[in-house]
Amino acid sequence: MALNQKQAYLIMIQKGFIAMLPLSLAVLPWGVLCGSLAIQRGFSVLEAILMPVLIFAGAVQLVVIELISDNTPLATILFTAFIISSRHFLYGLALRDKLKNLPFKWRGGIGFLLTDELFALCGESNALKGKLKLVYAISAGGSFYLCWLLWNIIGITAGSYLPDLTNLGLDFAIAVTFIALVVPTITNLPVLITVLIAGFLSVIFKIANWELGLVISSLIAMFCGYLTAHKQTRLTIKRNKSL
Amino acid sequence: MILLTIVLLACITFFSRYLFLHPKLPLRIGAKVTHLLSFSAPAVLTAIWVPIIFIKDNNFNSSLTNPYLLAATVAIITSYKSQNIYLTLATSISTFILLRLFLT
Repeated sequence: MALNQKQAYLIMIQKGFIAMLPLSLAVLPWGVLCGSLAIQRGFSVLEAILMPVLIFAGAVQLVVIELISDNTPLATILFTAFIISSRHFLYGLALRDKLKNLPFKWRGGIGFLLTDELFALCGESNALKGKLKLVYAISAGGSFYLCWLLWNIIGITAGSYLPDLTNLGLDFAIAVTFIALVVPTITNLPVLITVLIAGFLSVIFKIANWELGLVISSLIAMFCGYLTAHKQTRLTIKRNKSL
Repeated sequence: MILLTIVLLACITFFSRYLFLHPKLPLRIGAKVTHLLSFSAPAVLTAIWVPIIFIKDNNFNSSLTNPYLLAATVAIITSYKSQNIYLTLATSISTFILLRLFLT
């Protein structure tokens, strides 16, 4: 039985939702934390809801809530948010060639939804090619957005009834999701080198309290992975020549 | 005032995600840079999760009683063996909860 177009889209929407589901669930504790922290630090319900609706970035929300409640100057708040968000520039660059010539509804939609989680799902080379895969990406990113909003609302509603959640180890859920996303992609030496260097440098920079550390360690690690792959191909060419 | 801050922050996060998807940006990405960028997902994701495991309150913690480290080891082994994200989440998060109950 041949599928008509509408059925094919429905299947892709379903697939996108299901592929994202473990990631959507893994940010539940973090979303609840963001929502309840906003209320506990004296934000109004409207302000607390607008953060996941408009900003839609866990790390930025969490840091900014503390900064705003400490009466930090606006310029400092914006600069900190910019530094935390700067890793997204890499995601945009990596997806540029696939998305730049599409109509704004796709570019803008995926651009708005482009979290670490969506990028992890759309990072492989065949992603986002053709309308069906775009529908898949929008469904994955969109369902993640709705879940994030829902988890925040739960936190806002529970608000002051919840104890202070900041020291319960909720960040472990984020770490383990990323482990589950990264480990299966380590199938060759260049990626292994990338992962080892990124892990090593990010810890050093974090201890040095260097805000830009995340992006710099990623860039150096990417470069090391690239050089390893380059060396490998040159070695293979040499070996083939000498045979 | 907080509302204005939130709107400005929203502009920053959207700008960082959307900028390089914009067609009018005069920028062409060659084959080498594309290859370099293919390493961005493992690099950035790892640079996010490794510090969560090893750093607590700005101190490096690699002791064997660090529940993050033990549970992350379980996660890495499960993920490597099964490649299953649900199984990885289930085993390591339950390990983490048990360790926190017994180690503290």
